[in-house]
Amino acid sequence: MIVTMANCYFLVADNAFLVQGEDSIIEALSNYNPFIFKGNGSRDIVFFMTIEIGKKRQYKQVSRREDGGFELICGQISALNPVYEYRWQGQTIGQLICSQNHQEGKLILSGYMMKFAIDNALMLQYALRTVNLQTVVFHASAISYDNYAYMFLGASGTGKSTHSRLWLQSIENTELINDDHPVVRIIDGGAYVYGSPWSGKTPCYKQIRMPLGSIVRLHQAPQNKIWRCSNLEAYFLLAQSITGKRMDRKHADGLHETESFLTEKYGLWFLDCLPNEDAAILCRDNIALK
Amino acid sequence: MKLKKEYVLRRICGENIIVAEGKETINFGELIHLNDTAAWLWEQAQEEFTPESLAKSLCEEYEVDAATAMHDVSAILEKWQQAGFLE
Repeated sequence: MIVTMANCYFLVADNAFLVQGEDSIIEALSNYNPFIFKGNGSRDIVFFMTIEIGKKRQYKQVSRREDGGFELICGQISALNPVYEYRWQGQTIGQLICSQNHQEGKLILSGYMMKFAIDNALMLQYALRTVNLQTVVFHASAISYDNYAYMFLGASGTGKSTHSRLWLQSIENTELINDDHPVVRIIDGGAYVYGSPWSGKTPCYKQIRMPLGSIVRLHQAPQNKIWRCSNLEAYFLLAQSITGKRMDRKHADGLHETESFLTEKYGLWFLDCLPNEDAAILCRDNIALK
Repeated sequence: MKLKKEYVLRRICGENIIVAEGKETINFGELIHLNDTAAWLWEQAQEEFTPESLAKSLCEEYEVDAATAMHDVSAILEKWQQAGFLE
């Protein structure tokens, strides 16, 4: 069987990366289309990933994280090669083997739930590789309002997407940037919020960026109320919304640099809220930059 | 004596905070703030140490007599022991 291999360059938050794999696999990645990048000569590639279908390799398991039926097992193949195995309801869907600095990655797909495995593995390798490039992947819903970005943080199910939708419905000059994993990058002393190919259940894939205005942590409550967090609360709540390999010191240092910067320059608001328009208006009246 | 690897001194908005970074997420549970002297001692304690070696470093860095240094170091190490920072 002859397969054609495709090389595709993408640009997310001004970080360029290369994905190599069979044509049919790469073509199915429609959420990455807005991020396709042609001018690869002009820019450094920060990492590449090759994707193939095959059998996973033996490795030493170090830690495990579970979320519903989804499992991420971290480990090592040798002292130098980190491994990340993805399972859905006990079945392996993919195994990502990286070089130590995460600049190189090989994703071995089992053939089951391939797009899910690719999206998770690419987002992971992206996050691990770019953490020392002042870039972090947030778990948040991000909107723009009058050309500034506002991010809503909170545990899954807290109502981030709902709150964004209320802004879009009831406030003019608003647009959704990304509904699950916007990417934040510090450039020249300011933070920018970028769209990404990873947007959860809402298909919002935009090659845009906006300067960050404010960040809000949401919490379901019987009344709408908003206040500023203390510095320490802000730091820890921001960190909670950024997944990372914290047991790796270099990685943790990179995360801390960005988290400190965001804490000191932007801080965090805390919003107790109902899923209603008043919550969006109250929030906007307090947090939006004039 | 050794500090557990998962505890890291982070400077957050001008404060010295010990953060547990052993897992994927960090907990906003019990936060230990260190004053500047304790934070300085924490940096000296990154390699294997004894109360005596820390007290000696303290005397070399600050204007303090040996007895006071030993007393201060013992008090700080007691707190670190209680907080679970020591192996």
